[in-house]
Amino acid sequence: MTSRALIIQLARLGDLVQSLPVITSLAARYPHRSLDLLCPAPLANLARLFPRVGQVLEWNGPRWHAWAKSFVGEFQHSWLREVEQYLTELTSDPYEMAYVLNQHPRAFLAGALLASEVQGPHLRGPLDEELSPWASYLRRVAQVRGSNRIHLSDAFCGLCGVTPLPVPPFLMPPSNDPPGDLAEVGISAGQWIAVVVGAGDADRSIPVAVWIEWISLLLAHGSPCSVVLVGASRDQTVAHAVQEGLSPLMAGRLWDAVGRTTLPQLATLLKRCHWAVGADTGPLHLATAVGTRAMGLYFSRARVHETGPYGQGHWVWQADRAVPETWPIQASVKMIRDPATVSQQEPVAGWSLWQSHYDEWGAVFRPVGEGDSQEDQRAAIWRQLSEQRMLLQGVQ
Amino acid sequence: MSFFEDNLSRLMQNNPALASALRQSGTGRLEIVQARSGVPSARANGRWIHSAYDPIKEAQAWAESQSYQDGETIVLFGLGLLYQVEALCARLPRTAAVVLAVPDPSALADAAAARAWGDWMDRVVWAWGTAEAIGEQIASAGHPIRLVAYAPAASLHAESHRIIETILQRKVAAQAGGQLRIAVVGPIYGGSLPITRYAVSALKSLGHHVRWLDPSVHATSYHQLELLKNSQHRLALQSKYAEMLSRITMAQLAEDPPDLVLSLAQAPLILPMLEHLRRKRFLTAMWFVENYRHLTYWQQLAAGYDFWFVIQREHCMAALKQAGAKDVRYLPMAADPSVHRPLELTQAEREEYGSDVSFVGAGYANRRAIFPQLLNHEWKFKLWGNEWDGATELSSVLQRNGARIDTDTCQKVFNASAVNLNLHSWAGAGLDPNGDFVNPRTFELAACGAFQLSDRRSLMPDLLAANEIATVSSSGELPGAIARWLREPEQRLAMAANARRRVLAEHTYAHRMRDLLSQVGVASPDRIGAILRGARQAEALASTAADSFPVLASTLRTFPPTQRVELKQLAAQIRSRGPAGTLSREDLMLLMLDEYRSETKDLV
Repeated sequence: MTSRALIIQLARLGDLVQSLPVITSLAARYPHRSLDLLCPAPLANLARLFPRVGQVLEWNGPRWHAWAKSFVGEFQHSWLREVEQYLTELTSDPYEMAYVLNQHPRAFLAGALLASEVQGPHLRGPLDEELSPWASYLRRVAQVRGSNRIHLSDAFCGLCGVTPLPVPPFLMPPSNDPPGDLAEVGISAGQWIAVVVGAGDADRSIPVAVWIEWISLLLAHGSPCSVVLVGASRDQTVAHAVQEGLSPLMAGRLWDAVGRTTLPQLATLLKRCHWAVGADTGPLHLATAVGTRAMGLYFSRARVHETGPYGQGHWVWQADRAVPETWPIQASVKMIRDPATVSQQEPVAGWSLWQSHYDEWGAVFRPVGEGDSQEDQRAAIWRQLSEQRMLLQGVQ
Repeated sequence: MSFFEDNLSRLMQNNPALASALRQSGTGRLEIVQARSGVPSARANGRWIHSAYDPIKEAQAWAESQSYQDGETIVLFGLGLLYQVEALCARLPRTAAVVLAVPDPSALADAAAARAWGDWMDRVVWAWGTAEAIGEQIASAGHPIRLVAYAPAASLHAESHRIIETILQRKVAAQAGGQLRIAVVGPIYGGSLPITRYAVSALKSLGHHVRWLDPSVHATSYHQLELLKNSQHRLALQSKYAEMLSRITMAQLAEDPPDLVLSLAQAPLILPMLEHLRRKRFLTAMWFVENYRHLTYWQQLAAGYDFWFVIQREHCMAALKQAGAKDVRYLPMAADPSVHRPLELTQAEREEYGSDVSFVGAGYANRRAIFPQLLNHEWKFKLWGNEWDGATELSSVLQRNGARIDTDTCQKVFNASAVNLNLHSWAGAGLDPNGDFVNPRTFELAACGAFQLSDRRSLMPDLLAANEIATVSSSGELPGAIARWLREPEQRLAMAANARRRVLAEHTYAHRMRDLLSQVGVASPDRIGAILRGARQAEALASTAADSFPVLASTLRTFPPTQRVELKQLAAQIRSRGPAGTLSREDLMLLMLDEYRSETKDLV
C-alpha cells in the first residue's frame, strides 16, 4: 500500500477547482494514504481549503523562470544546487505516487522529480509521447469535440484510475467576514448574484455593454436582487467600466469586490450569494464548489460538456458560435428572477440552454425543453477506457 | 606601537617586499581628516576619497553594490584608507580571492598610518610595482577576473589602471578560444554599412558565430518615404518606419538570443527597445563609427547600450558619459585586407583609374574649397565620388560625372594612383582645426599598399608613424607636398609598404573586433569573458561538474570537447535518448529548466 501520494495540478484557478472531484475520489479510494497537492503558489491558500488534502506544496513558477533566464547564455552547473535545494524544500523524500492532471511537460517533469511513480497523461516517462487511454481521449475531445459528454473533472478521475463519488464534493470556505463593506454581502433579504466580470483570456470575456444591460435589467423594476462584481485585479478596469454604465440609482444594490479579496475570501463571498453568473472562469467554478448555483454564458472555446459548472442544478447558455451576435440577456435574467418559468423558456437565437445533472458517471448536462440529440455514451466510454488502462497495466 | 608599525609588521608576514617599500616610500599623498563619525577619512587633490561623515557606512553600501560570481578573482583598483576592502571582504565568501592593486606605495603608507588594518589582510593578495608589473601579476592569477574600481580613490591613478586593464584585455584576447554568438545590427544605408560587412567578416574569421541582422534590405522602402513632399508626414513616417525596423530586429533577436548584440552606427534600435533588451539581460554594444560632432543622435541612445566604442577620445567620451553612457571606450577604424589589398591592374585599368593625384569621396565643403588649388598643375588630378553638384570648377577632373563609386572601383583607384589624397571631411573652408579621429580611408589606402597624403589628425600618431603616412597641417601645404612626393617615387613606395605592414599587424577589423570583445570580456567576466575563455565548452563544464553532478558531467562528455554547451543543447541531448531513455534527477532538473527557458523570449 502506498502511504504518500501527490496530486499535481499546475494550471489555473478553474482547473484547480475542477480537480476537487478527483481529489475526493482518490481520498475515498485510498483512505489510509496521505494525499498532498502541488499547485501554483498563488492558488495555495485556496487549495488548503480542499477536503482530504494533507500538505499543499507551492510551485513557484516565477522562480523557475528566473533560474531559466539565468541559465540562458551562461549555463553554470553550480546553479543546479539552488534548484536541488528548492525541490528538497518541497519534499525531502520522494512521494510513492504522483497523479499528474495536466498535459504539459512541466507537470510530467514535476511528477518525475517529486515521486517514484507517476500516473497521468503519459504511459511511461516524461520523454514518452505515447498517451494513456484517458489522456488520448481528452486530447481527441479537445481537437474534435464531437459528442463527448464526460466532464473534465470526471476525466481527471479516469486519468487517475478512480470513478466519481456518488455525490459531488464541496469545499467549505472560511466563516470569517470578507473585508470592509463586502461583509454586508448576503446579509439583507433578496437574491444575491455574483457577476464574474472578467476572464483569464480576452476572447472569453463577456463584453462590458452586455454586463451593463444584464445588470440593469436584473436590478430594474424594484427587484429584490443585489449584485456583487467579482474577479481578479486585472479585471478592475472592466468592473469600473460596468459601473460607469449603470444608473446611479442602482448604486445601493451593487458591490464591487473585483481585485479586493484573497481567494479564500472570494470563496466566502461566493458562498453568501445565491447565484454566480459569468463566462467559463475560475470564480464561476469556485462558486459551484462552495455550493452556489451557477449560470454560465459559454462561448469562444468554452463548451458546456467539458467544463460546465460541476454538480447538480447549474445552468449553461451555450453559444453556437465563438463570437455571439446576440446575448440571452432577458431570458437569463428571467431565470433568476422567476425560476419557475424555466420550463417555459422561449428559444433564444444562437444559444441553447443546458442544465447539469449528476449520476454514477459524474456530472452531465442535458438540454432544457427537448432531449439530447446525442446518445449518452459515458458508461461505454468509461468501460472501454478502463479496460484499456487495465490491459496496459497488466502488460507493464 | 603605532598603527603604521603594527600594520607593517602584519604585512611583513605575507608580503615583506611591499612592507619594505611602504617603509621607504614616505607618506603625505593623502590628507587624513577625521570624519564626523569619529574615524579617519581622507582627501587628495582637494577631493574627498571617503565620506566626510561616515566612511564605514559608505564603504558597506559600496561593497553591497558590487557583483560577484563563484570562482572569480576580484581585483580592486582604488584603495584609499581600505574601508571598502574591509567591507568587500566581509561581504564576499571566505573562498573568494581578492587582489588589491597598489600603483602608489606612498598612498598605501598613508593608509597604514591612519588606522588599524583588520583580519581581511590575511585574505588579500597585493599586486604592486609598475603598472605593467601589476598587470602581469593579476593576469597570472589565472581565474576569471572581475575588475572593481572604488572610483574616488581609483581616479588618483587613472593612467596606471588603464595600462593594467589593457594588459588584462590582451590576456583575454590571447586566451580567447570560445565561440560567441553575436548578432550584428547594421544601418539601413550609409557609410557604416560597409563597415558592418567588414566587422561581420572579421568576427567570423575569429571563429565566432555571427548573425547579421541587416535592415538594409528595407532601404528601398525607406527611401521611398524621402519622396514625400510634406516634411511633417515624411518625418513622422520615417520615425514610424525606424521603430518598425527596431521591432523587427527585436523579433529576430528573440528567435535566437545572442551573447552580444553589436550595433554599428545608424543601427535602427531605439532607446525603449534597448532598455527592453537590458531588462531581458541582453548585452549590447555600439561601435559608433561616426564623428560625434556631426551626428548627434547618440545623445538619445547613450544610456541604452551597455558598451560604447567610439573613434574619438576625450571630448567624445566625456560627452557620451554625460549623456548617460555607462562604459565608453576608444576603438579606431581599420581595414579589411581581403577587400583592401594590392591589385594587379591591366593596362586598360591603369589608364582608366590611374592618375598622378586622386581623391575618392563626397563633396564636403572643405574639399570643394581646397581642391581647385590643385588644378592647372603639372600633375594629372582625378576626382571620384558623388555629391559634387555645383562644384563647376572641378567638373574637368570629376570622373563618371559624379556617380557614386563602389568598393571595387575605389580599390582600383587607390592602387592606380601615385598620390592618393585623404582629406577628412569638414564643414569649414580648410582643414578641420579640431580634427581628431582617423577615417577608414586612411587604413584602406594603407592596406592597399597605396601612398597617401593626409591632413594631420590628433589621433594619427598613435596609429601610423611619420614613416608610414605623409601629412600636411594646412591646405596651403598641399600643392608643395604633392609636387615633392611625385618627385620621390621610391620613398612613396617605401612609405606605402611601411603603412601596409603596420595596418596588417595592428589595424585590421579582426584586430578591432578582438579588442572589442576582449574589452567586453574583461568588463563582463561571468558572461562574455567566460565564453571567450572557453569556460562554456563541454570539456571545461564537465570537469567542473564532475564532483557535484556526475551525471551531468557524463552528459557533457558526449559533446565534442570544444563545443560550446548551454542548457538548450544539454536538454536536446537528454531528449535524444528517446521515450525509453533513463533520466536521472539532474536530467529532469535540466529538462524542467529548459521548459521555462523556452518561454523566456517575450521580447516583442
